[in-house]
Amino acid sequence: MTTFEISLNGERIDTQALTLQALLLERGYELKSAFACAVNRDFVPRQQWPARNLQGGDRIDIVTPITGG
Amino acid sequence: MSNSFQNPIAHGSAWTVAGTTLSSRFFLGTSHYPSPQVLGDAVRASGTDVLTVGLRRLQPESGGGNSFWQRIQALGCRILPNTAGCHSAGEAITLAQMAREIFGTTWIKLEVIGDDYTLQPDTAATLEAATALDKDGFAVFAYTTDDLVMAQRLHAAGCAAVMPWAAPIGTGRGPLNPYALETLRRRLPDAILIVDAGLGRPSHAAQVMELGFDGVLLNTAVAQAGDPVRMARAFADGVAAGRAAYESTPMPERAAAQASTPTVGVPFWHAS
Repeated sequence: MTTFEISLNGERIDTQALTLQALLLERGYELKSAFACAVNRDFVPRQQWPARNLQGGDRIDIVTPITGG
Repeated sequence: MSNSFQNPIAHGSAWTVAGTTLSSRFFLGTSHYPSPQVLGDAVRASGTDVLTVGLRRLQPESGGGNSFWQRIQALGCRILPNTAGCHSAGEAITLAQMAREIFGTTWIKLEVIGDDYTLQPDTAATLEAATALDKDGFAVFAYTTDDLVMAQRLHAAGCAAVMPWAAPIGTGRGPLNPYALETLRRRLPDAILIVDAGLGRPSHAAQVMELGFDGVLLNTAVAQAGDPVRMARAFADGVAAGRAAYESTPMPERAAAQASTPTVGVPFWHAS
């Protein structure tokens, strides 16, 4: 498997995950939990996670509810 | 309602924003409370229908569990997610889309910060994002300054509510420019106007509600009070009293004194 570097929530990591959903599973996210994803600052709807391919240099942000005013 | 408050809040007549009928005109934020328990008690005491929440990065080690969100859901309020922390229209649009998926609502409190010291909104970027989000089907609650022309632009862009600040976020200073707020209300009679940010005391909330604002949104003034639960109720009463006063049409101010007690038939001391 080829390893490549991406940014996950601002942290550089090496991954072998070829899709967004594979990355989430690789990193231990529970897919049914309350969070949403963006790749390179573009929102990726949940139903597109399995098909959204990743490549080196991609920037992935994953957000969840917190307190807010 | 908390059991410690025996009298119901006098909300007055129901109102509608973004196609949704609400009883309370008091929107409450969920940050800075001493504990989750106090947050829950304050929400119940406030009688609010709408809570604001934020979004932040989820670190992998947490696995996706979120006890905060579970607690908020249990309170049964409508959710108004915000775009706090965004500094550009693009960031705010993306975060709004993420919020729509997570919360299952088209409501978004649009907040694009232009100055990190005062947390003054970047109103040009706010208008750009509001226009795009409205076209994408969002109900935009736009946080802005008390600038009249920008408020007009945001209303014309289709915002569900225009939300001018009373003072910078978290300062608790109350309306710094009541004249500007009064002008907004007068010049935008058909817009939903909610004062968002800068209120510190229930009298501030009553003051802006007396001007005819449709509601208030605040957080720190309740969360950082010595007794947040009682303060939540105090704000609810202030909002309700201000609204009732507005609907009752306050008397006009006069330059000269005018006796309340009839002067006809005054005995003794004015005998002529």
